[in-house]
Amino acid sequence: MTNTGMFFRMLLSAVFRRRSRAAMAVVASLVGAATLFCLAMVCIAVPQQMNQEMRAYGANLIVTPAASTDGSGDKSGIGDDMVEHTTEMVTAKGAAKYATYRYENVRVNAAPYVMAGVDAAKVEDLNHHWNVEGDWPSAGKVLVGRDVADAMNLKVGSGITIGYRASDNAAAGSDASGSDGSGSGNSGSDASGSDGSGSGNSGSGNSQQMQDGRVSSDIMDTSGTEFRVAGIVDTGGSEDSIIYADADDVAKLTGSTRGADVIEYSVDLSGDDLTALVQSINDMTSMHVKAQQVTKITSSDTRIITMLQTLFWIVSLVVLVLTLVGVGTTISSIVSQRRNEIGLRKALGASSRSIGVEFYAESAVYGLVGGLLGTGVGYGFALALTTAVFQRSLGFNWWLGIASVVLSVLVAVIASVPPVHRATRIDPAIVLREE
Amino acid sequence: MTMLLELDHISKIYGDLKAVDDLSLTVPAGEWLAIVGSSGSGKTTLMNMIGCMDTPSKGSVKLEGRKLEDLNATQLADVRKNMIGLVFQKFYLVPHLTAVENVMVAQYYHSVVDEKEALAALDRVGLKDRAHHLPGQLSGGEQQRVCVARALINCPKIILADEPTGNLDEKNEKIVLDLFRQLHEQGTTIIVVTHDALVASCAEREIMLNHGVLVGEKWNDPAAKAAYEAAGGRPASTGSTAEDAQRGETAIGFADPTKAAKTGGEA
Repeated sequence: MTNTGMFFRMLLSAVFRRRSRAAMAVVASLVGAATLFCLAMVCIAVPQQMNQEMRAYGANLIVTPAASTDGSGDKSGIGDDMVEHTTEMVTAKGAAKYATYRYENVRVNAAPYVMAGVDAAKVEDLNHHWNVEGDWPSAGKVLVGRDVADAMNLKVGSGITIGYRASDNAAAGSDASGSDGSGSGNSGSDASGSDGSGSGNSGSGNSQQMQDGRVSSDIMDTSGTEFRVAGIVDTGGSEDSIIYADADDVAKLTGSTRGADVIEYSVDLSGDDLTALVQSINDMTSMHVKAQQVTKITSSDTRIITMLQTLFWIVSLVVLVLTLVGVGTTISSIVSQRRNEIGLRKALGASSRSIGVEFYAESAVYGLVGGLLGTGVGYGFALALTTAVFQRSLGFNWWLGIASVVLSVLVAVIASVPPVHRATRIDPAIVLREE
Repeated sequence: MTMLLELDHISKIYGDLKAVDDLSLTVPAGEWLAIVGSSGSGKTTLMNMIGCMDTPSKGSVKLEGRKLEDLNATQLADVRKNMIGLVFQKFYLVPHLTAVENVMVAQYYHSVVDEKEALAALDRVGLKDRAHHLPGQLSGGEQQRVCVARALINCPKIILADEPTGNLDEKNEKIVLDLFRQLHEQGTTIIVVTHDALVASCAEREIMLNHGVLVGEKWNDPAAKAAYEAAGGRPASTGSTAEDAQRGETAIGFADPTKAAKTGGEA
């Protein structure tokens, strides 16, 4: 047998032949590791869950056509290829859902409204918080905002005639997309709605033309295309004053095909990461698009996650200190019980260093066993907790698991430093003095 | 004959108490010396100083001509593991290690672990078949024999034994004393601290302490005394001013009352 073999033989003997005392130290480490690991798992899961929940409240990033040098927006909107390209940039940074909106000023019973051409499935996927009575828009069927429905006494299944005047959109297309950007400083959704309304008003203002020296107006013209009301959307926001239709229907109505005025993204990023993404898109001036965060969503998201993380750190620190005290007290007790043995080893010629190494290694074994068991127990608790509270399963985080075991070993070793340091200063003569 | 151990006017002082008071003593290699005295007489303190586990407040200890006071803690530990084998009254075996592992601990701190050698040492003390038992599974006598095996495993120059038979019955006392006798015959220097007259009488030479002061010295083996004196050895002495102290060149004989009790009045 080599000296290394003897070292491990002594180590394992100390651990396994003194089971009751070893169990005390292991249990102390186990409790600490279980608490810390459970806390860490939950506190990692909760922000993720919060992020997912917040993503259901709509977009946190909007992209609009960049303003051209004369200040007007790009009237052709954002083409499909650019939508695809932008989406690739976004999804490269984080999982994302998106929907495109093409805004047009239309007339219903001669009154101006904003109509949005959308892919209903994508909009629905993006905005879980929308309260829709009836169905989402499809071919020949529109989804009207609650305010629109109330103004015209519309119900699900009602008919609605929507007219389109190119003159209404002479400058409005650019208004819709251009002012979306400025409006989104407050809120993307708010911006797109109110801007749409705004451009509708401006559109009607522009409809006045001179004919035979008199102002000629088609304000009483109620002709248009007949649609059915598939559903009524009620969000309490600007969406309530918009009419949503299938993008193809809008193209047919307007007689033209063009790109989107707004792309709304719900991307799984927050804080600095989201800011960096916005910056990277805006830096690509050749794309002729402008990206902005939806402050309402991102700031609340960031605030909640920051609060949770702060809470995690504070609680973790307290648990860590308690673990150190618990493990330290236990190890201290074990070392105190072995004063005679330490004195004997010194009398046999052991150096303080070799005794220190033996006890630190023993503490590390307690920390390792306690850490492994505690991590398993902590995962069990975390799984039970997330299943009960969030109704979601929780995958084992291996990095966190390894960190938990390593931390347990470190805590056990650090906690044993003071008692072992005291022990290594034991005068070997005490072994002989005791009568 | 060379002097293995030389104590030159050593004292150990705790505040006003002189645990050992100005003792001078020389011990040649191969001698069996008994230090006797009642409890609190300073025997164990003296043994700690000889065993490099304590340092004298005054005076000098030389082991093989090397002054111990010049050595630091690490060097003293080296001297301890290389030159001294320790046997304690309370055995002090590591409770979670088996008999053979307890012997191997001494090898571990000394040089290289050799289980066969450790088993041979246990065989020598008659415990080979108990080698893999924990101390708690051994009798007091067996534990003390393990302690002796551990003390001799590294072939020390001196075996220091503090009340080695203090916790043993007569049968085990005899076994342990026989082991010491064998070691002595092989040339090992043995210093035994005891207040047991029978144990002391096995030694070639006895010195007696009383309250830290040397009060007597006697030889149980005239041949050994003659050899010692022929080699220039001188009686132990003290510079203490205590009334019954052994000062100067003349040894003062003594009769140990405990010896009389054990041997039926034979002094």
